Amino acid sequence: MKDFLQILLVGIGDGAVYAMLGLGLVVIYRSTGLLNFAQGEMAMFSTFIVWTMWSLGLPMWLAILGGMAGGFCVGALVHQVAVRPVGDPHEKPLAVVIVTIGLFLGVNGAAQLIWGTLDRSMPPLFGRGQVTVFGVAVAWQKIGAVIVLGVMVLLFYLLFQHTKLGLAMRAVASNSESASLVGIPVPRLLMLGWGLAAAVGTVAGVFIAPNLGLGTNLMQLTLIFGFAAITLGGFDSLVGAVVGGFVVGALSSVMPRYITIFEKMPLAPAFILILAVLLFRPEGLFGKKQVTRV
Amino acid sequence: MSNTVTAGASVHRSPGDWALKVAPWVVLFVILAIVPFQFPSFRVEQFCFWMTLAIAACGLNLLTGYNGQISVGHGALFGIGAYTTGILITEFGVPLFGATVASAVVCFAAGILIGLPALRIKGLYLALVTLAVATLFPLLLEQFSAITGGSGGLQITSPQLYRGEMRERPIRLESPVAGLENDQWKYFVFLGITVVIFILSRNLIKSRVGRSLVAVRDNEVAAESSGIPVSQVKIVTFGLSAAIAGIGGSLFALDQGQLYPSSFTIVLSIYILVAVVVGGAASIIGPAIGAVFYGLFSDVIVQQMPDRIQPARAVILGVLLILLMLLAPGGIVGGFRTLQAKWSARRSSTHSSGLAVTGPSVTGPPAAGPEVTA
Repeated sequence: MKDFLQILLVGIGDGAVYAMLGLGLVVIYRSTGLLNFAQGEMAMFSTFIVWTMWSLGLPMWLAILGGMAGGFCVGALVHQVAVRPVGDPHEKPLAVVIVTIGLFLGVNGAAQLIWGTLDRSMPPLFGRGQVTVFGVAVAWQKIGAVIVLGVMVLLFYLLFQHTKLGLAMRAVASNSESASLVGIPVPRLLMLGWGLAAAVGTVAGVFIAPNLGLGTNLMQLTLIFGFAAITLGGFDSLVGAVVGGFVVGALSSVMPRYITIFEKMPLAPAFILILAVLLFRPEGLFGKKQVTRV
Repeated sequence: MSNTVTAGASVHRSPGDWALKVAPWVVLFVILAIVPFQFPSFRVEQFCFWMTLAIAACGLNLLTGYNGQISVGHGALFGIGAYTTGILITEFGVPLFGATVASAVVCFAAGILIGLPALRIKGLYLALVTLAVATLFPLLLEQFSAITGGSGGLQITSPQLYRGEMRERPIRLESPVAGLENDQWKYFVFLGITVVIFILSRNLIKSRVGRSLVAVRDNEVAAESSGIPVSQVKIVTFGLSAAIAGIGGSLFALDQGQLYPSSFTIVLSIYILVAVVVGGAASIIGPAIGAVFYGLFSDVIVQQMPDRIQPARAVILGVLLILLMLLAPGGIVGGFRTLQAKWSARRSSTHSSGLAVTGPSVTGPPAAGPEVTA
């Protein structure tokens, strides 16, 4: 039992990170309607920015802010030059998928060019200490991830529900045509959404890097976990991303431990989850049902 | 009788046209036949790899280009084909090309299995599922390392006569023809298989079935209401596409003689997609052109660059993909068709300038986008 609890808590800590990446994916899905397959690579890139600033001697918190700012610029730029010109993702899914795959390749290659192919090490943000709760040791790093996720969700809530900017972003998400008719600068808000998503991804990267080692394929598995989280939660639901993140984190920590066939592939439960949800409840737990008009 | 005459007459409008149509193919085949004698052995080996990529891209093109179902996971099917071939030869002593046939069958089944959920999961979401398959596949190989060899690799061996006794030895494709080196023989065997697959795909696309593939892509509801069994078409296309990718993978296994999970990551899936998109989706020859482009680029051009800037390969390919989608979604073949159409439009407009009104909308060039033509 204690063993189970231990593994479950580790999973929930990981889940918080998947949820962070998921939040970025949801923001992009809500604003531009596409699944951004390059989200993980963008997060990896900005995590490298954090690492660079930190290794130049900046304090960690400042480096993270700098990385988020860098990520924001990358995200906004990517939207302006690559995503926006392609057009509506649901009209031309193939073109959009190929553009995001192109970004995936391009950003990954750029990171290899700049930082090389060696793994870098990054210190855990909340140190290596542990705390014992109900006889179970939990790393501060995991607790920190949950707290940071909570702060992020609160900030998103305040942004979307209590500011004019957030209201405008929600208007764009629900109907961009009407939004632009009432004078909302839609393209600029979409750009802002992409920037925000990339900035959030930075934080996810900063939490994962100490575990896996900061290399150019840091986020490739994590991206699928993030997608599993938002598939379960609903592609357009921020709450869903958080709940989905915890569930996916728990499942992919617990199942490989007790079911031998998943032993070396914690990704498998996440994959089965994606498949099952898309087949039987495509809108996920909290998402809006999509209606196709003929 | 009269039927055949009119059909013949309509195909061969004039001997000049016919020659113009056939000549490029003759030239192409002559070049392909000379190539292995003009290049050193390691290049010929690379050409063999390009062909396996072209085959896989041909399979992906049927599915994504013609049928509109997006797959970012064909690297996994390629891998299933490769590992099926490797395991059948090593564990069960199946003859080399017998294993290729078996791999095609296994991949057909795998394709059907993925195709079933794809009936409900479409567009971006299907791309997501296939991306997850591609990411999961190398882990699957590690998980089942008892049969796949895991990250230690799978050495493909077969019992061979060695110093008077039968022993398990690494497979080799030995040339039975006196004048041909082993690699040249392999080249021609691979070339034969590649050509047959491309011709079969062309015939499929030109047939009734091929037209229903495109109809399903363009509008499922309309296709359904004109009597096309949409679900059946989509599933069978997935199976066929997978089988072709599997043949590519099987040849890859025969070519390499050893398999490692690191060859079958998401990156392989992306490169197959690159071959399709760069060459031209929904054109038969496009994937082959794309595969040659990819091969020339990464095996020849990139090798000239200093080691430090070799990752630029991925950057250039990524930027190229994005630019193609923005500027020339039809890839190389599509771009060529656009030029051709412009050229013939200009020619016809100078010819018909003295004639009565023939608006470009009537006699105008054929649309240049991804069309059904070969």
